Amino acid sequence: MKKLFMILGMFLSLSMVAAACGSTIDEVASDAADAAGDAADAVEDAAEDTADAVEDAVTDDEDAMEEEDAMEEEDAMEEEAMADHLGDGSLGQVVVEAGAEVQIRSLNAITGDVAFLGLPNQRGVEQAVADYGDIKGFGVTSGQGLDDLCSADGGQAAAQQIVADEQIVGVIGTSCSGAATAAAPLISAAGMVMISGSNTSPALTSDQQGNAGPDYHVGYYRTAHNDLFQGAAMAEFVYNELGLTSAAAIHDGDPYTNGLADAFANAFEALGGTVTTVVGVAKEDTDMVPVLTEVAAGSPEALFFPIFQPAGDFVADQAPGVAGLEDTILLAADGLLTDGFMELAQSEGMHFSGPDVRFGANTNESTGVSADEFLATYEANNGEAPSAAFWGHSYDATAMLLDAIDAASFVDGDGHLVIDRQGVRDHLNSIQGYAGIIGTINCDAFGDCGSQKITVIKHDSAADIEASKANVVFEYAPS
Amino acid sequence: MSTAEATKPILEFRNINTHYGAVHILKDVNLAIYPGELVCLLGGNASGKSTTLKTLLGMVTPTSGEVVLDGEVVNDKPTSYRVERGVTMVPENRRLFKRLSVLENLQLGAYLRNDKDGIANDLERIYTMFPRVKERMHQKSGTLSGGEQQMVAMGRALMASPRVLLMDEPSMGLAPALVQTNFELIQQIHEEGIAIFMVEQNANMALSIADRGWVLQTGKVVLDDSADSLLANPDLRKSYLGEA
Amino acid sequence: MTAAVRVKGAPRTGVDWFLLLLRVLLIGLIVIGLLAFIAQQIDPGNAFAKWTHDGEEASRLTWPQFRGLIVTGLSQGAMYGLIALGYSMVYGVLGFINFAHGEVFMVGAFTGFIMSTKFDEAGWWDGWIFIPVILFTILVCTLVATATAVIMERVAYRPLRGSPRLIPLITSIGVSFFIQNAVILLFGPGAKGYPPNPEWLEETIPGLGIEVKKLLVIIVAAISMAGLWYFVERTKTGKAMRAVAEDKEIASLMGIDVNRTIVTTFAVGGAMAGIAGILWGILFKSVIATTGFLPGIKAFTAAVVGGVGNLGGAMAGGVSLGGAEALAPLMLLEPLGVEGPSQLRDAVVFTLLILVLLVKPTGLFGERLSAEDRA
Repeated sequence: MKKLFMILGMFLSLSMVAAACGSTIDEVASDAADAAGDAADAVEDAAEDTADAVEDAVTDDEDAMEEEDAMEEEDAMEEEAMADHLGDGSLGQVVVEAGAEVQIRSLNAITGDVAFLGLPNQRGVEQAVADYGDIKGFGVTSGQGLDDLCSADGGQAAAQQIVADEQIVGVIGTSCSGAATAAAPLISAAGMVMISGSNTSPALTSDQQGNAGPDYHVGYYRTAHNDLFQGAAMAEFVYNELGLTSAAAIHDGDPYTNGLADAFANAFEALGGTVTTVVGVAKEDTDMVPVLTEVAAGSPEALFFPIFQPAGDFVADQAPGVAGLEDTILLAADGLLTDGFMELAQSEGMHFSGPDVRFGANTNESTGVSADEFLATYEANNGEAPSAAFWGHSYDATAMLLDAIDAASFVDGDGHLVIDRQGVRDHLNSIQGYAGIIGTINCDAFGDCGSQKITVIKHDSAADIEASKANVVFEYAPS
Repeated sequence: MSTAEATKPILEFRNINTHYGAVHILKDVNLAIYPGELVCLLGGNASGKSTTLKTLLGMVTPTSGEVVLDGEVVNDKPTSYRVERGVTMVPENRRLFKRLSVLENLQLGAYLRNDKDGIANDLERIYTMFPRVKERMHQKSGTLSGGEQQMVAMGRALMASPRVLLMDEPSMGLAPALVQTNFELIQQIHEEGIAIFMVEQNANMALSIADRGWVLQTGKVVLDDSADSLLANPDLRKSYLGEA
Repeated sequence: MTAAVRVKGAPRTGVDWFLLLLRVLLIGLIVIGLLAFIAQQIDPGNAFAKWTHDGEEASRLTWPQFRGLIVTGLSQGAMYGLIALGYSMVYGVLGFINFAHGEVFMVGAFTGFIMSTKFDEAGWWDGWIFIPVILFTILVCTLVATATAVIMERVAYRPLRGSPRLIPLITSIGVSFFIQNAVILLFGPGAKGYPPNPEWLEETIPGLGIEVKKLLVIIVAAISMAGLWYFVERTKTGKAMRAVAEDKEIASLMGIDVNRTIVTTFAVGGAMAGIAGILWGILFKSVIATTGFLPGIKAFTAAVVGGVGNLGGAMAGGVSLGGAEALAPLMLLEPLGVEGPSQLRDAVVFTLLILVLLVKPTGLFGERLSAEDRA
């Protein structure tokens, strides 16, 4: 029996060390994802081979044409249908038979603790598909909504399922950055595209200074903001607006919260402030007094904890009781910008940063549907208002994807819709000045398409959450 | 002895057979213990002595035959039923609750009794019988010497105010000097009118204080006689008393 | 049984050297960490502190902060201790670890959630009427948890009596999943929030610097523990329980009904877990179907640290575990320059378990196993 205890203890201890070193786990996870990516590369190679074979059949003429030089140019012009779409066929094509539907997928966190975030995303996708209508006479379906479980393994499993279906052109998702880290390499390797409405980790795109993030993969896009800005926005608000010079940050080891806490800390120090502590808690922790005491040792004037419920509940509840933190200003990010958290008494007086969600009469140029119209339909369909802020991002993402499919496809002589995978990416890469529900959308070279405007709101009363959401005290737009 | 035989037996085996799985342990065993007598069961290893005791107490259920207590067949009655009716045992190696105090061990002996005064009286009686036990009543019984533990074990059994006391190898594991004392104690208890059924390897010593005895061999009773005759039996002397 | 203890006179093997090294290393770390902590409390700018903190001054822990940590550790530890009692008692009597015991605790916390919400709707979860209401709630939580534990024993474990110990152990893991998912089915997977505590409960006692609710937790835990101690040590049933824990055969020879005593053991352990459950709810105001897991594992650790089967040990193990969890990150790890020491809290707990098993394999206060388990 003693041996059993020993082994159990050792095992638990090791796993806890591993869990504590969140970044290490992420590396392991992304290693695993890379490995999976390699496997997917092999699949992709095979897919390319078949695609090449198809292409060979189609383009043998073309090759011949090239050899026979420009004399045959007129013939090439005759192939009008083929020339009138984006893409060079390098990633293969999706052929939709007459009467079949164009396949896209929604991959969001629709169960468990984070369903509040993923469900509005999925419904945004479904409404956009319905509003958009047919592409060149072909219907579009987002199929059964897939679940990213808000975790790397969940994202990976769902992505494997998606890439196995060669009819799928693109994915709207994931909800969580952690899931995207594992899903993006697979989707990318399969020649598909992925547009997220709520991933915000800078690692997934770029540092906005021309350097790709460690988890960036070609074919990944997002309409959500990059956390570099949310961190910067919060830092600027705390330093310039509140006039505080020392701050601490708490994350929960998740790439999203970790990235946001670091971004805040870096920006705050760049402004000239002092960051006393950046520290992690475990998602399942309940007793926050030790970690808060650690934070209190640095006597910060502000404490930024961009984490989720329920850990966020405990931090907000216990912080005022820890010696040295009684008067510290508490701030959180969009993860806690939920009704469930804002209804708690301890959340009163806090500030929240997040995307500017005052969409008002913004209209999506592809479907002609405005934010207000969207919300009316949403409430009619689901009997409730969206529980998180990213439905508009998912809606615009879907409309953009469908536009891209339209631009990269043609109907061939047999009545099939042929979609060029590279063409879809080409279209998304070129999006500039697109009018969406969330505002004007411009895609950069690393897939960041969203409006980068961040707002900070002040939450005065747990009894009137809507008033707090409109109580914008600071706006930040990157120059 | 003749008076004892005239009355009815307290505890009886009628054609008892027991099995452990497929192994046949006791084979058609007949025994009877009468009030106030001191009897002993002799036998080598694996002859079925322990099984006999367990069957008497209901820890083992016989496959056939009857265990009779005061004329009632008690085959399917639990141990506690028999303890309540005056059958108890001093187990082999004493088996005290070592983490419990001496007093608690004695109190547990009277677990099924509710007569507070009777219990208090019996406790006093045991303290008188074993003054050493009284001195150590608040110690953990595991800290006592072998001889003292034997006294506590007997005291614990007596606290149930038994009519029949079963003793499993009472001299086992005791220093030779203590064995003699131990048998004197058994006689002392016997003189209080309690019937004693003793299972013992030390046949010489056992028979010297016993009234009657049985010899058990591979589950069968091979000899059933008075202690004096058994002591004189040449076969027995050869096999159990170590004489050539 | 004693993996870490070498038979005297036997030659040391590689494993022995490794274990010795591990012991020296762990104890060394503790000693150095403590010394470094004391040094930086006296002079935050001392050479060692500067070296471990990349040339910067270390930060001093103030007395109110230190006091806060101790009170937190104590209240958390008291709950671990209460849960640990159940593990310990069942282990003492039946020789297997009832991994579903953490779920009994969770059921207690859930019962508390339902009761408190109802009382809050009636306006009774506030002011001074809270006192009789909370006592009643504690009672109901205790009863529900007790019933859960007793049904668990009857349905899942009694049919397995006499089978090898690994079988009820595995069964208990299954029972644990069953209860968790049953609660998810009944109440959904989300976190359930307790209503806000009465204001006086959230206040800090002036001068002492202890929050009233934490004091309440510690007091209720202490009373429960004293009650349990009285029950086990002084009552006839308690003596029977200890007798059964030590030697079931002889206990039944005394006329003790062993099965009934085992049920009593489960019931008493369940009651303690139920009390811990409602205290948990008052302290953290949130419960979820998986609430039982981590506290359960830690309480099990506390039981082993204190010595399985030993009730005082379980309570002391719980308190020392809670204390270590609260204090060690800042008193041992931070002075050694570990970054983000609070993240290593759980690692500290299980390292403590390993250390105790290495140095004293029977737990701090010695284990109490039944006769058949000792063999």
